[in-house]
Amino acid sequence: MTGIIGILVLLAVMILLQMPVGFAMAIVGFCGLWYVTGLSSALSMIGTETWANFSSYGLTVIPLFILMGTICFYSGVNQSLYDTAYKWFGRTRGGIAMATVMACAGFAAICGSNNATAATMTTVALPEMKKYRYDKALSAGSIACGSTLGVVIPPSVVLIVYGIQTGQSIGKLFWGSTLPGLLMAFLFVLTIYVLCAKHPHWGPAGPRVRWIDKIKALPGMSEMIILFGLVMGGLYSGAYTPTEAGAAGAFFAFLIAIAIRRKLSWKGFVSAVLDALKVTSMVIVIVWGAVLFGRFLTISRLPFQAVELVSNLHISPPLVIGAILVIYGIAGMVMDALGFLLISIPIFFPIATQLGYDPIWFGCLLTVVTTMGAVTPPVGICAFVVCGMAQDIPLSVVFKGVAWFIPAYCVTMLLMILFPQIALFLPGLVK
Amino acid sequence: MILFLDRMSRRLAQWFTWIGGIALIALTALACFNMLMRPLGKPLAGAYELIGFLGALVVAFPLGYAQLTRSHISVDILTARYSKRKRQIVHGINSFLCTIFFLLVAWQSARYATTVWKRGEMSETLRMVYHPFVYMVALCCLLLAFILLIDFLKTVLSPTAEDR
Repeated sequence: MTGIIGILVLLAVMILLQMPVGFAMAIVGFCGLWYVTGLSSALSMIGTETWANFSSYGLTVIPLFILMGTICFYSGVNQSLYDTAYKWFGRTRGGIAMATVMACAGFAAICGSNNATAATMTTVALPEMKKYRYDKALSAGSIACGSTLGVVIPPSVVLIVYGIQTGQSIGKLFWGSTLPGLLMAFLFVLTIYVLCAKHPHWGPAGPRVRWIDKIKALPGMSEMIILFGLVMGGLYSGAYTPTEAGAAGAFFAFLIAIAIRRKLSWKGFVSAVLDALKVTSMVIVIVWGAVLFGRFLTISRLPFQAVELVSNLHISPPLVIGAILVIYGIAGMVMDALGFLLISIPIFFPIATQLGYDPIWFGCLLTVVTTMGAVTPPVGICAFVVCGMAQDIPLSVVFKGVAWFIPAYCVTMLLMILFPQIALFLPGLVK
Repeated sequence: MILFLDRMSRRLAQWFTWIGGIALIALTALACFNMLMRPLGKPLAGAYELIGFLGALVVAFPLGYAQLTRSHISVDILTARYSKRKRQIVHGINSFLCTIFFLLVAWQSARYATTVWKRGEMSETLRMVYHPFVYMVALCCLLLAFILLIDFLKTVLSPTAEDR
């Protein structure tokens, strides 16, 4: 047991010393396997596991959904979404910040990347909010938090990875996460409304827009609706597998970009493919590292011992879930959400299922708590992106803005715990 | 010498990324084609395994490029507080450990490919040999190890080159 704990400490040290998370998990997993099973068995396992993971049919869904998102990103779909939301809600007090959150939610429905959403929305929405003298913290906070919807609203890489790791249906996870994502977006908008009602000068009303212009702006949402409908509709009806849904999504995103929008240049297409490859490589290296690490954990029987320990403590299940969420919240502050999710799934997933919780519900709940890690200090990737691109907004102001939205994350999780149907209603309808 | 090796690794990573890109487009086309053919009662035989093989190329070929562009997620919460010298030492140790590890991965993947080849193993549906794909994955891991080794050498030989 001491040796196993030593190996887990080694993982923490390696990650804290800036070794890439995926590499650290793979190395520690290998060392752990070496310790438990011997060198020759550990060596042969890295050869077979590497091939098994890289060539896994299930994992091919990841590059395809990422490609769909990057093509949409380079063809400027998010700009149109923002324009539509701005024309409809810009007139309201705090309306531009609300429009930003709604555009983020719309873009999240076709792209699973927080950072891409944060980067574009900073470019598109921040100048507008500056023009109308919006409070800097409110502006930055709404963009940073709005962009985290990318992970909650499907398609989401985190949900795909969770599904593959735990053997759950990706289609059901996607549908399960839809209502919590919309609820979160609504709570973000409500937060902005309350803040601007209390401090009217934080979000002055924008210019009046004629009804005809509002209606003319509606087609700006059509591409998002088509893509989302195509992907989720196929998954809902069971017409195609998640991999095929990703491929169809990427293909139709490409068609929309060249035939309807006519905004995707050759250079943009190459950049979209390169970005997709880069992110795919990064995500799958983490998954591969987590699999090696997971093999070691399974052989060491640590997850089983953890389940046994929790069962013997006789603590009420909601308290255990609360404790798990607190651990994720703290871990999300210091490291990448996906990395920690993959390290911890082998331990927490059996505990949650043993306590009788639905695996789909648990996955959706974890997605919400892990996405919060992308905006909480000291390591909040989305906050860093907004700060880096905004130039004149200090990081402390971004984090201050983010703090107002934290209750929205907590309320979403609380409602999901109190009313599990929020995450289970739609998956129950899936064929 | 280091500069030459660095240029070489970048060029190789660029070529490999192009292959990865072509594999990604082929993967998309294949999955779409299969999806369209299935309702017509003529699904592509072996699509499942072909998608898996192409997926392996999509993941493996950009490994070097992802490392060169520092795309792999790491946590700098602690090292950001270190002096430049200390950071270089940590970076050097990390690069060295990762080089050794990826050499092992490349070696074991190549060994696995050889085993598959010698056993005459074929894919289940198409009955095609697949050890060349496994060899390609091994080659990509070798390139990643080479890039990590150059990182290590740069840290050791020219201390100012840490932040390329």
